[in-house]
Amino acid sequence: MFCYNCGCLLSEHDFCTACGADVALYKKIMYVSNMYYNEGLEKAGVRDLTGAITSLRQSLKFNKNNIEARNLLGLVYFETGEVVAALSEWVISKNLRPEKNVADDYINRLQSNSSRLDALNQTIKKYNQALVYCMQDSKDLAVIQLKKVLSLNHRFVRAHQLLALLYMDSEEWERAERELHKCIDIDRNNTQTLRYLKEVEMMLVPDETAHQPAKRKKDESVRYQSDNEIIIQPLNMKEPKRTGASTLINLGLGVIIGLAATYFLMVPAAQANAKNESQKTITKISNESDARAVRIQELEAEVEKLTGQNEDLNQELENIVGADGTLHTIDELLLAASSYLENQDVQATAENLETIAQSVNIEETSEGFQSLYRMLLAAIGPDLSQTYYTEGNDAFNKGDFTAAIENLTKAVYYDEANADALFQLARAYHRNEDTENAVATYDKVIELFPGTTVARSAQRYRDELSPAE
Amino acid sequence: MINFEEELKKFHPSLEVEDAEEAIYNQDLTDMADLLVKMLKESEEKSNEV
Repeated sequence: MFCYNCGCLLSEHDFCTACGADVALYKKIMYVSNMYYNEGLEKAGVRDLTGAITSLRQSLKFNKNNIEARNLLGLVYFETGEVVAALSEWVISKNLRPEKNVADDYINRLQSNSSRLDALNQTIKKYNQALVYCMQDSKDLAVIQLKKVLSLNHRFVRAHQLLALLYMDSEEWERAERELHKCIDIDRNNTQTLRYLKEVEMMLVPDETAHQPAKRKKDESVRYQSDNEIIIQPLNMKEPKRTGASTLINLGLGVIIGLAATYFLMVPAAQANAKNESQKTITKISNESDARAVRIQELEAEVEKLTGQNEDLNQELENIVGADGTLHTIDELLLAASSYLENQDVQATAENLETIAQSVNIEETSEGFQSLYRMLLAAIGPDLSQTYYTEGNDAFNKGDFTAAIENLTKAVYYDEANADALFQLARAYHRNEDTENAVATYDKVIELFPGTTVARSAQRYRDELSPAE
Repeated sequence: MINFEEELKKFHPSLEVEDAEEAIYNQDLTDMADLLVKMLKESEEKSNEV
Protein backbone atom coordinates (compact mmCIF):
# COMPACT_ATOMS: atom_id res chain seq x y z
CA MET A 1 0.00 0.00 0.00
CA PHE A 2 1.35 3.42 -0.93
CA CYS A 3 0.83 6.87 0.57
CA TYR A 4 -1.76 8.92 -1.30
CA ASN A 5 0.31 12.06 -0.66
CA CYS A 6 3.89 11.14 -1.50
CA GLY A 7 3.58 7.65 -2.96
CA CYS A 8 5.89 6.02 -0.41
CA LEU A 9 5.32 2.48 0.86
CA LEU A 10 3.20 2.64 4.01
CA SER A 11 4.19 0.88 7.24
CA GLU A 12 1.98 -0.50 10.02
CA HIS A 13 1.68 3.04 11.47
CA ASP A 14 -1.32 5.26 10.83
CA PHE A 15 0.85 7.95 9.31
CA CYS A 16 3.23 8.04 6.39
CA THR A 17 6.79 7.59 7.60
CA ALA A 18 8.03 9.68 4.69
CA CYS A 19 5.71 12.72 4.60
CA GLY A 20 3.82 12.34 7.87
CA ALA A 21 0.36 12.39 6.28
CA ASP A 22 -2.45 10.79 8.26
CA VAL A 23 -3.31 7.57 6.41
CA ALA A 24 -5.54 5.83 8.97
CA LEU A 25 -8.78 6.48 7.07
CA TYR A 26 -7.08 5.84 3.75
CA LYS A 27 -5.88 2.47 5.00
CA LYS A 28 -9.40 1.58 6.15
CA ILE A 29 -10.76 2.41 2.71
CA MET A 30 -8.15 0.15 1.13
CA TYR A 31 -9.03 -2.63 3.60
CA VAL A 32 -12.73 -2.34 2.76
CA SER A 33 -11.93 -2.48 -0.94
CA ASN A 34 -9.85 -5.62 -0.38
CA MET A 35 -12.61 -7.15 1.73
CA TYR A 36 -15.12 -6.66 -1.08
CA TYR A 37 -12.63 -8.11 -3.53
CA ASN A 38 -12.26 -11.23 -1.36
CA GLU A 39 -16.02 -11.51 -1.12
CA GLY A 40 -16.34 -11.16 -4.88
CA LEU A 41 -13.67 -13.80 -5.40
CA GLU A 42 -15.50 -16.23 -3.13
CA LYS A 43 -18.79 -15.63 -4.88
CA ALA A 44 -17.23 -16.05 -8.30
CA GLY A 45 -15.71 -19.32 -7.04
CA VAL A 46 -19.17 -20.75 -6.37
CA ARG A 47 -20.60 -19.27 -9.58
CA ASP A 48 -22.65 -16.62 -7.82
CA LEU A 49 -21.69 -14.25 -10.62
CA THR A 50 -24.33 -11.61 -9.86
CA GLY A 51 -23.14 -11.46 -6.25
CA ALA A 52 -19.54 -11.35 -7.42
CA ILE A 53 -20.30 -8.43 -9.75
CA THR A 54 -21.94 -6.51 -6.89
CA SER A 55 -19.02 -7.12 -4.51
CA LEU A 56 -16.35 -6.32 -7.08
CA ARG A 57 -18.04 -3.11 -8.08
CA GLN A 58 -18.22 -2.13 -4.43
CA SER A 59 -14.53 -2.92 -4.13
CA LEU A 60 -13.76 -0.63 -7.07
CA LYS A 61 -15.90 2.15 -5.60
CA PHE A 62 -13.56 2.15 -2.63
CA ASN A 63 -10.38 1.72 -4.60
CA LYS A 64 -10.43 2.18 -8.34
CA ASN A 65 -6.79 1.02 -8.47
CA ASN A 66 -7.65 -2.43 -7.16
CA ILE A 67 -6.42 -4.10 -10.32
CA GLU A 68 -7.19 -7.66 -9.21
CA ALA A 69 -10.79 -6.67 -8.46
CA ARG A 70 -11.13 -4.95 -11.83
CA ASN A 71 -9.64 -7.86 -13.76
CA LEU A 72 -11.89 -10.32 -11.95
CA LEU A 73 -14.90 -8.12 -12.64
CA GLY A 74 -14.01 -8.20 -16.35
CA LEU A 75 -13.69 -11.96 -16.21
CA VAL A 76 -17.08 -12.33 -14.52
CA TYR A 77 -18.67 -10.03 -17.09
CA PHE A 78 -17.13 -12.10 -19.87
CA GLU A 79 -18.49 -15.28 -18.31
CA THR A 80 -22.03 -13.86 -18.37
CA GLY A 81 -21.62 -12.94 -22.05
CA GLU A 82 -21.16 -9.19 -21.44
CA VAL A 83 -18.13 -8.89 -23.69
CA VAL A 84 -18.01 -5.11 -24.01
CA ALA A 85 -18.29 -4.58 -20.26
CA ALA A 86 -15.47 -7.09 -19.77
CA LEU A 87 -13.30 -5.37 -22.37
CA SER A 88 -13.94 -1.97 -20.77
CA GLU A 89 -12.77 -3.19 -17.36
CA TRP A 90 -9.65 -4.80 -18.81
CA VAL A 91 -8.76 -1.72 -20.85
CA ILE A 92 -9.10 0.53 -17.78
CA SER A 93 -7.08 -1.95 -15.77
CA LYS A 94 -4.33 -1.94 -18.37
CA ASN A 95 -4.27 1.85 -18.38
CA LEU A 96 -3.98 1.95 -14.63
CA ARG A 97 -1.20 -0.64 -14.58
CA PRO A 98 0.43 -1.01 -18.02
CA GLU A 99 3.07 -3.53 -16.87
CA LYS A 100 2.65 -7.02 -15.43
CA ASN A 101 -1.09 -6.99 -15.81
CA VAL A 102 -3.07 -10.12 -16.65
CA ALA A 103 -5.70 -7.91 -18.34
CA ASP A 104 -3.18 -7.40 -21.13
CA ASP A 105 -3.21 -11.13 -21.73
CA TYR A 106 -7.01 -11.24 -21.74
CA ILE A 107 -7.25 -8.39 -24.26
CA ASN A 108 -4.60 -9.93 -26.50
CA ARG A 109 -6.30 -13.30 -26.42
CA LEU A 110 -9.58 -11.71 -27.48
CA GLN A 111 -8.07 -9.43 -30.11
CA SER A 112 -5.80 -12.08 -31.64
CA ASN A 113 -8.85 -14.15 -32.59
CA SER A 114 -10.65 -11.59 -34.73
CA SER A 115 -13.24 -14.08 -35.95
CA ARG A 116 -14.17 -14.92 -32.35
CA LEU A 117 -14.45 -11.23 -31.48
CA ASP A 118 -16.53 -10.65 -34.58
CA ALA A 119 -18.82 -13.55 -33.66
CA LEU A 120 -19.25 -12.13 -30.15
CA ASN A 121 -20.10 -8.74 -31.58
CA GLN A 122 -22.61 -10.40 -33.90
CA THR A 123 -24.28 -12.05 -30.90
CA ILE A 124 -24.65 -8.65 -29.23
CA LYS A 125 -26.14 -7.12 -32.39
CA LYS A 126 -28.55 -10.02 -32.76
CA TYR A 127 -29.53 -9.78 -29.10
CA ASN A 128 -30.29 -6.08 -29.55
CA GLN A 129 -32.29 -6.91 -32.67
CA ALA A 130 -34.24 -9.54 -30.72
CA LEU A 131 -35.01 -6.92 -28.11
CA VAL A 132 -36.33 -4.62 -30.84
CA TYR A 133 -38.51 -7.47 -32.15
CA CYS A 134 -39.89 -7.95 -28.64
CA MET A 135 -40.76 -4.26 -28.41
CA GLN A 136 -42.48 -4.53 -31.80
CA ASP A 137 -44.41 -7.56 -30.56
CA SER A 138 -42.72 -9.82 -33.15
CA LYS A 139 -42.10 -12.50 -30.58
CA ASP A 140 -41.55 -15.37 -33.04
CA LEU A 141 -38.79 -13.46 -34.77
CA ALA A 142 -37.31 -12.57 -31.39
CA VAL A 143 -37.23 -16.26 -30.41
CA ILE A 144 -35.48 -17.20 -33.67
CA GLN A 145 -32.96 -14.40 -33.23
CA LEU A 146 -32.25 -15.35 -29.61
CA LYS A 147 -31.73 -18.98 -30.57
CA LYS A 148 -29.11 -17.80 -33.09
CA VAL A 149 -27.49 -15.66 -30.40
CA LEU A 150 -27.27 -18.59 -28.02
CA SER A 151 -25.90 -20.92 -30.70
CA LEU A 152 -23.03 -18.42 -31.11
CA ASN A 153 -22.55 -17.62 -27.41
CA HIS A 154 -24.31 -20.04 -25.11
CA ARG A 155 -23.08 -18.15 -22.00
CA PHE A 156 -25.07 -15.00 -22.74
CA VAL A 157 -27.23 -14.95 -19.58
CA ARG A 158 -29.41 -12.03 -20.63
CA ALA A 159 -30.28 -13.77 -23.90
CA HIS A 160 -31.24 -16.93 -21.99
CA GLN A 161 -33.39 -14.85 -19.66
CA LEU A 162 -35.12 -13.01 -22.49
CA LEU A 163 -35.77 -16.29 -24.32
CA ALA A 164 -37.17 -17.78 -21.12
CA LEU A 165 -39.41 -14.74 -20.72
CA LEU A 166 -40.69 -15.18 -24.28
CA TYR A 167 -41.37 -18.87 -23.64
CA MET A 168 -43.17 -17.93 -20.44
CA ASP A 169 -45.27 -15.43 -22.34
CA SER A 170 -46.26 -18.13 -24.82
CA GLU A 171 -46.85 -20.52 -21.89
CA GLU A 172 -44.15 -22.95 -23.01
CA TRP A 173 -43.19 -23.59 -19.42
CA GLU A 174 -40.89 -26.59 -19.98
CA ARG A 175 -38.80 -24.70 -22.49
CA ALA A 176 -38.68 -21.67 -20.23
CA GLU A 177 -37.55 -23.89 -17.36
CA ARG A 178 -34.83 -25.40 -19.51
CA GLU A 179 -33.51 -21.94 -20.46
CA LEU A 180 -33.60 -20.80 -16.85
CA HIS A 181 -31.67 -23.86 -15.74
CA LYS A 182 -29.04 -22.96 -18.30
CA CYS A 183 -28.90 -19.50 -16.70
CA ILE A 184 -28.53 -21.09 -13.28
CA ASP A 185 -25.67 -23.24 -14.59
CA ILE A 186 -23.82 -20.04 -15.54
CA ASP A 187 -24.93 -17.74 -12.74
CA ARG A 188 -26.35 -19.53 -9.68
CA ASN A 189 -27.76 -16.55 -7.84
CA ASN A 190 -29.22 -14.24 -10.40
CA THR A 191 -32.33 -12.76 -8.80
CA GLN A 192 -34.15 -12.33 -12.09
CA THR A 193 -33.48 -15.92 -13.11
CA LEU A 194 -34.60 -17.22 -9.73
CA ARG A 195 -37.79 -15.13 -9.87
CA TYR A 196 -38.64 -16.45 -13.35
CA LEU A 197 -37.82 -19.99 -12.29
CA LYS A 198 -40.12 -19.73 -9.31
CA GLU A 199 -42.94 -18.60 -11.58
CA VAL A 200 -42.25 -21.41 -14.06
CA GLU A 201 -42.12 -24.06 -11.35
CA MET A 202 -45.41 -22.80 -9.96
CA MET A 203 -46.95 -23.24 -13.38
CA LEU A 204 -45.42 -26.66 -13.96
CA VAL A 205 -46.49 -28.18 -10.61
CA PRO A 206 -50.17 -27.47 -9.96
CA ASP A 207 -51.23 -26.39 -6.48
CA GLU A 208 -52.00 -29.77 -4.95
CA THR A 209 -53.29 -28.50 -1.65
CA ALA A 210 -56.10 -26.69 -3.41
CA HIS A 211 -57.43 -29.90 -4.97
CA GLN A 212 -58.07 -32.63 -2.46
CA PRO A 213 -58.75 -35.43 -4.99
CA ALA A 214 -55.45 -34.74 -6.63
CA LYS A 215 -53.71 -35.16 -3.27
CA ARG A 216 -55.48 -38.42 -2.70
CA LYS A 217 -54.35 -39.54 -6.07
CA LYS A 218 -50.80 -38.62 -5.18
CA ASP A 219 -50.99 -40.76 -2.12
CA GLU A 220 -51.98 -43.69 -4.22
CA SER A 221 -49.01 -43.40 -6.51
CA VAL A 222 -45.27 -43.16 -6.47
CA ARG A 223 -43.80 -40.15 -8.30
CA TYR A 224 -40.20 -39.86 -9.28
CA GLN A 225 -38.28 -37.85 -11.78
CA SER A 226 -36.09 -39.33 -14.47
CA ASP A 227 -34.20 -36.64 -16.39
CA ASN A 228 -36.91 -34.23 -17.50
CA GLU A 229 -39.84 -36.63 -17.09
CA ILE A 230 -41.97 -37.16 -14.01
CA ILE A 231 -42.97 -40.81 -13.77
CA ILE A 232 -46.11 -41.68 -11.81
CA GLN A 233 -46.43 -45.30 -10.80
CA PRO A 234 -49.85 -46.35 -9.33
CA LEU A 235 -49.68 -48.36 -6.10
CA ASN A 236 -53.01 -49.94 -5.35
CA MET A 237 -53.65 -51.46 -8.72
CA LYS A 238 -54.96 -55.04 -8.54
CA GLU A 239 -54.59 -57.59 -11.25
CA PRO A 240 -58.12 -58.78 -12.20
CA LYS A 241 -58.75 -62.48 -11.61
CA ARG A 242 -59.03 -64.51 -14.74
CA THR A 243 -61.04 -67.72 -15.32
CA GLY A 244 -60.31 -70.46 -17.86
CA ALA A 245 -63.16 -69.42 -20.16
CA SER A 246 -62.05 -65.82 -20.24
CA THR A 247 -58.52 -66.99 -21.01
CA LEU A 248 -59.81 -68.97 -23.98
CA ILE A 249 -61.88 -66.03 -25.16
CA ASN A 250 -58.89 -63.78 -24.81
CA LEU A 251 -56.77 -66.29 -26.70
CA GLY A 252 -59.34 -66.49 -29.47
CA LEU A 253 -59.58 -62.74 -29.62
CA GLY A 254 -55.79 -62.57 -29.79
CA VAL A 255 -55.72 -65.00 -32.70
CA ILE A 256 -58.45 -63.05 -34.52
CA ILE A 257 -56.63 -59.79 -33.92
CA GLY A 258 -53.40 -61.41 -35.10
CA LEU A 259 -55.01 -62.66 -38.30
CA ALA A 260 -56.67 -59.31 -38.88
CA ALA A 261 -53.36 -57.55 -38.33
CA THR A 262 -51.72 -59.96 -40.76
CA TYR A 263 -54.41 -59.29 -43.33
CA PHE A 264 -54.43 -55.55 -42.87
CA LEU A 265 -50.67 -55.10 -42.55
CA MET A 266 -49.05 -57.83 -44.62
CA VAL A 267 -51.44 -58.01 -47.57
CA PRO A 268 -51.16 -54.30 -48.39
CA ALA A 269 -47.41 -54.61 -48.00
CA ALA A 270 -47.32 -57.55 -50.43
CA GLN A 271 -49.57 -55.64 -52.83
CA ALA A 272 -47.34 -52.63 -52.56
CA ASN A 273 -44.31 -54.85 -53.26
CA ALA A 274 -45.94 -56.32 -56.35
CA LYS A 275 -46.91 -52.84 -57.48
CA ASN A 276 -43.36 -51.67 -56.94
CA GLU A 277 -42.01 -54.60 -58.94
CA SER A 278 -44.37 -53.90 -61.85
CA GLN A 279 -43.51 -50.22 -61.63
CA LYS A 280 -39.83 -51.10 -61.83
CA THR A 281 -40.45 -53.32 -64.86
CA ILE A 282 -42.41 -50.54 -66.55
CA THR A 283 -39.63 -48.10 -65.78
CA LYS A 284 -37.03 -50.51 -67.19
CA ILE A 285 -39.05 -51.08 -70.38
CA SER A 286 -39.62 -47.35 -70.70
CA ASN A 287 -35.89 -46.71 -70.35
CA GLU A 288 -35.08 -49.34 -72.97
CA SER A 289 -37.72 -47.86 -75.27
CA ASP A 290 -36.21 -44.42 -74.81
CA ALA A 291 -32.74 -45.76 -75.58
CA ARG A 292 -34.04 -47.41 -78.73
CA ALA A 293 -35.84 -44.26 -79.80
CA VAL A 294 -32.60 -42.34 -79.39
CA ARG A 295 -30.73 -45.01 -81.40
CA ILE A 296 -33.35 -44.82 -84.16
CA GLN A 297 -33.01 -41.07 -84.28
CA GLU A 298 -29.24 -41.42 -84.57
CA LEU A 299 -29.57 -43.96 -87.38
CA GLU A 300 -32.09 -41.75 -89.19
CA ALA A 301 -29.69 -38.84 -88.96
CA GLU A 302 -26.92 -41.07 -90.33
CA VAL A 303 -29.13 -42.24 -93.21
CA GLU A 304 -29.97 -38.63 -94.02
CA LYS A 305 -26.30 -37.71 -94.00
CA LEU A 306 -25.36 -40.65 -96.23
CA THR A 307 -28.21 -39.83 -98.62
CA GLY A 308 -26.86 -36.28 -98.89
CA GLN A 309 -23.37 -37.59 -99.57
CA ASN A 310 -24.75 -39.97 -102.17
CA GLU A 311 -26.57 -37.13 -103.93
CA ASP A 312 -23.41 -35.03 -103.94
CA LEU A 313 -21.40 -37.89 -105.40
CA ASN A 314 -24.05 -38.53 -108.03
CA GLN A 315 -23.98 -34.89 -108.95
CA GLU A 316 -20.22 -35.02 -109.21
CA LEU A 317 -20.41 -38.11 -111.36
CA GLU A 318 -22.95 -36.49 -113.62
CA ASN A 319 -20.59 -33.60 -114.09
CA ILE A 320 -17.87 -36.01 -115.14
CA VAL A 321 -19.97 -38.42 -117.15
CA GLY A 322 -22.32 -37.11 -119.81
CA ALA A 323 -25.97 -37.97 -120.21
CA ASP A 324 -25.10 -40.87 -122.49
CA GLY A 325 -22.51 -42.24 -120.07
CA THR A 326 -19.45 -40.96 -122.01
CA LEU A 327 -16.82 -39.09 -120.06
CA HIS A 328 -16.88 -35.37 -120.89
CA THR A 329 -13.13 -35.07 -120.92
CA ILE A 330 -12.68 -37.94 -123.35
CA ASP A 331 -15.34 -36.36 -125.50
CA GLU A 332 -13.56 -33.02 -125.38
CA LEU A 333 -10.21 -34.62 -126.21
CA LEU A 334 -11.66 -36.42 -129.18
CA LEU A 335 -13.30 -33.19 -130.27
CA ALA A 336 -9.99 -31.36 -130.01
CA ALA A 337 -8.23 -34.08 -132.03
CA SER A 338 -10.94 -34.04 -134.68
CA SER A 339 -10.83 -30.23 -134.87
CA TYR A 340 -7.09 -30.28 -135.40
CA LEU A 341 -7.15 -33.02 -138.00
CA GLU A 342 -9.91 -31.36 -139.98
CA ASN A 343 -8.91 -27.66 -139.90
CA GLN A 344 -5.41 -27.55 -138.45
CA ASP A 345 -6.95 -24.88 -136.20
CA VAL A 346 -4.20 -24.42 -133.65
CA GLN A 347 -6.06 -21.84 -131.59
CA ALA A 348 -9.30 -23.87 -131.21
CA THR A 349 -7.30 -27.01 -130.39
CA ALA A 350 -5.31 -25.12 -127.79
CA GLU A 351 -8.51 -23.85 -126.17
CA ASN A 352 -9.93 -27.40 -126.07
CA LEU A 353 -6.74 -28.75 -124.54
CA GLU A 354 -6.75 -25.99 -121.91
CA THR A 355 -10.36 -26.85 -120.98
CA ILE A 356 -9.36 -30.52 -120.61
CA ALA A 357 -6.33 -29.64 -118.48
CA GLN A 358 -8.54 -27.55 -116.18
CA SER A 359 -11.23 -30.25 -115.74
CA VAL A 360 -8.97 -33.29 -115.08
CA ASN A 361 -5.53 -34.07 -113.83
CA ILE A 362 -3.79 -35.38 -116.94
CA GLU A 363 -1.40 -37.53 -114.90
CA GLU A 364 -4.34 -39.47 -113.41
CA THR A 365 -5.99 -40.26 -116.75
CA SER A 366 -5.56 -43.47 -118.75
CA GLU A 367 -2.43 -44.14 -120.81
CA GLY A 368 -4.27 -43.77 -124.13
CA PHE A 369 -5.79 -40.50 -123.03
CA GLN A 370 -2.41 -39.13 -121.95
CA SER A 371 -0.79 -40.32 -125.18
CA LEU A 372 -3.38 -38.59 -127.41
CA TYR A 373 -3.28 -35.46 -125.25
CA ARG A 374 0.52 -35.21 -125.42
CA MET A 375 0.48 -35.95 -129.15
CA LEU A 376 -1.90 -33.09 -129.79
CA LEU A 377 0.09 -30.84 -127.48
CA ALA A 378 3.32 -31.72 -129.32
CA ALA A 379 1.63 -31.05 -132.66
CA ILE A 380 0.34 -27.61 -131.81
CA GLY A 381 2.86 -26.73 -129.08
CA PRO A 382 5.71 -25.03 -131.02
CA ASP A 383 3.38 -22.90 -133.16
CA LEU A 384 1.26 -21.95 -130.21
CA SER A 385 4.33 -21.28 -128.10
CA GLN A 386 5.70 -18.99 -130.76
CA THR A 387 2.36 -17.12 -130.94
CA TYR A 388 2.28 -16.64 -127.19
CA TYR A 389 5.96 -15.68 -127.19
CA THR A 390 5.32 -12.96 -129.76
CA GLU A 391 2.36 -11.62 -127.76
CA GLY A 392 4.33 -11.78 -124.53
CA ASN A 393 7.31 -10.04 -126.05
CA ASP A 394 5.09 -7.24 -127.38
CA ALA A 395 3.52 -6.82 -123.93
CA PHE A 396 7.03 -6.78 -122.39
CA ASN A 397 8.16 -4.04 -124.78
CA LYS A 398 5.05 -2.04 -123.92
CA GLY A 399 5.86 -2.34 -120.22
CA ASP A 400 2.76 -4.50 -119.47
CA PHE A 401 4.65 -7.10 -117.49
CA THR A 402 1.58 -8.86 -116.09
CA ALA A 403 0.29 -9.65 -119.61
CA ALA A 404 3.84 -10.51 -120.67
CA ILE A 405 4.18 -13.02 -117.82
CA GLU A 406 0.82 -14.57 -118.67
CA ASN A 407 1.62 -15.05 -122.37
CA LEU A 408 5.21 -16.12 -121.85
CA THR A 409 4.12 -18.68 -119.22
CA LYS A 410 1.79 -20.19 -121.85
CA ALA A 411 4.59 -20.08 -124.45
CA VAL A 412 6.84 -22.08 -122.10
CA TYR A 413 3.97 -24.43 -121.23
CA TYR A 414 3.35 -25.30 -124.88
CA ASP A 415 7.02 -25.63 -125.74
CA GLU A 416 9.45 -26.27 -122.95
CA ALA A 417 12.33 -26.07 -125.41
CA ASN A 418 11.53 -22.46 -126.23
CA ALA A 419 14.63 -20.95 -124.61
CA ASP A 420 13.82 -17.40 -125.68
CA ALA A 421 10.36 -17.61 -124.15
CA LEU A 422 11.77 -18.93 -120.87
CA PHE A 423 14.45 -16.25 -120.74
CA GLN A 424 11.97 -13.52 -121.61
CA LEU A 425 9.65 -14.84 -118.87
CA ALA A 426 12.51 -14.52 -116.40
CA ARG A 427 13.09 -10.95 -117.60
CA ALA A 428 9.37 -10.17 -117.23
CA TYR A 429 9.44 -11.45 -113.62
CA HIS A 430 12.58 -9.43 -113.06
CA ARG A 431 11.07 -6.20 -114.39
CA ASN A 432 7.86 -6.89 -112.50
CA GLU A 433 10.03 -7.01 -109.33
CA ASP A 434 9.01 -10.62 -108.60
CA THR A 435 12.54 -11.52 -107.56
CA GLU A 436 11.77 -15.01 -106.34
CA ASN A 437 10.23 -16.18 -109.62
CA ALA A 438 12.80 -14.25 -111.63
CA VAL A 439 15.69 -16.06 -109.91
CA ALA A 440 13.98 -19.44 -110.26
CA THR A 441 13.33 -18.87 -113.95
CA TYR A 442 16.90 -17.62 -114.60
CA ASP A 443 18.17 -20.76 -112.87
CA LYS A 444 15.95 -22.87 -115.09
CA VAL A 445 17.32 -21.15 -118.23
CA ILE A 446 20.89 -21.74 -117.03
CA GLU A 447 20.14 -25.39 -116.24
CA LEU A 448 18.17 -26.29 -119.39
CA PHE A 449 20.18 -24.37 -121.96
CA PRO A 450 23.79 -24.36 -120.76
CA GLY A 451 26.41 -22.68 -122.93
CA THR A 452 23.85 -20.69 -124.91
CA THR A 453 23.67 -16.92 -125.19
CA VAL A 454 20.41 -16.83 -123.24
CA ALA A 455 22.03 -18.88 -120.45
CA ARG A 456 24.91 -16.42 -120.14
CA SER A 457 22.54 -13.46 -120.18
CA ALA A 458 20.40 -15.21 -117.58
CA GLN A 459 23.49 -15.77 -115.42
CA ARG A 460 24.39 -12.08 -115.61
CA TYR A 461 20.90 -10.93 -114.60
CA ARG A 462 20.78 -13.54 -111.92
CA ASP A 463 24.06 -12.25 -110.48
CA GLU A 464 22.59 -8.78 -110.43
CA LEU A 465 19.67 -10.02 -108.38
CA SER A 466 21.69 -12.02 -105.86
CA PRO A 467 25.46 -11.55 -106.35
CA ALA A 468 26.29 -13.42 -103.14
CA GLU A 469 25.00 -16.72 -104.49
CA MET B 1 -47.66 -13.48 -11.88
CA ILE B 2 -44.99 -12.03 -14.14
CA ASN B 3 -46.06 -9.27 -16.52
CA PHE B 4 -44.27 -9.64 -19.81
CA GLU B 5 -44.39 -5.97 -20.74
CA GLU B 6 -43.08 -4.89 -17.35
CA GLU B 7 -40.32 -7.48 -17.41
CA LEU B 8 -39.33 -6.49 -20.94
CA LYS B 9 -38.66 -2.95 -19.72
CA LYS B 10 -35.91 -4.36 -17.49
CA PHE B 11 -33.98 -5.58 -20.53
CA HIS B 12 -31.71 -3.01 -22.14
CA PRO B 13 -29.72 -3.16 -25.36
CA SER B 14 -26.26 -4.57 -24.84
CA LEU B 15 -23.22 -2.45 -25.69
CA GLU B 16 -21.58 -3.35 -28.99
CA VAL B 17 -17.81 -3.55 -29.45
CA GLU B 18 -17.87 -0.29 -31.43
CA ASP B 19 -19.34 1.45 -28.37
CA ALA B 20 -16.63 0.17 -26.00
CA GLU B 21 -14.43 3.26 -26.38
CA GLU B 22 -17.28 5.60 -25.46
CA ALA B 23 -18.25 3.39 -22.52
CA ILE B 24 -14.69 3.50 -21.19
CA TYR B 25 -14.45 7.29 -21.50
CA ASN B 26 -17.81 7.80 -19.84
CA GLN B 27 -17.03 5.60 -16.86
CA ASP B 28 -16.86 7.56 -13.61
CA LEU B 29 -13.67 6.41 -11.96
CA THR B 30 -13.91 8.52 -8.83
CA ASP B 31 -13.51 6.29 -5.78
CA MET B 32 -13.71 6.74 -2.02
CA ALA B 33 -9.97 7.24 -1.81
CA ASP B 34 -10.20 10.19 -4.24
CA LEU B 35 -12.97 11.72 -2.17
CA LEU B 36 -10.97 11.26 1.02
CA VAL B 37 -7.87 12.87 -0.44
CA LYS B 38 -9.98 15.75 -1.75
CA MET B 39 -11.61 16.26 1.65
CA LEU B 40 -8.28 16.15 3.44
CA LYS B 41 -6.80 18.72 1.06
CA GLU B 42 -9.80 21.02 1.47
CA SER B 43 -9.64 20.83 5.28
CA GLU B 44 -5.91 21.48 5.13
CA GLU B 45 -6.45 24.53 2.94
CA LYS B 46 -9.11 25.85 5.34
CA SER B 47 -6.82 25.40 8.33
CA ASN B 48 -4.06 27.22 6.45
CA GLU B 49 -6.42 30.11 5.70
CA VAL B 50 -7.38 30.37 9.37
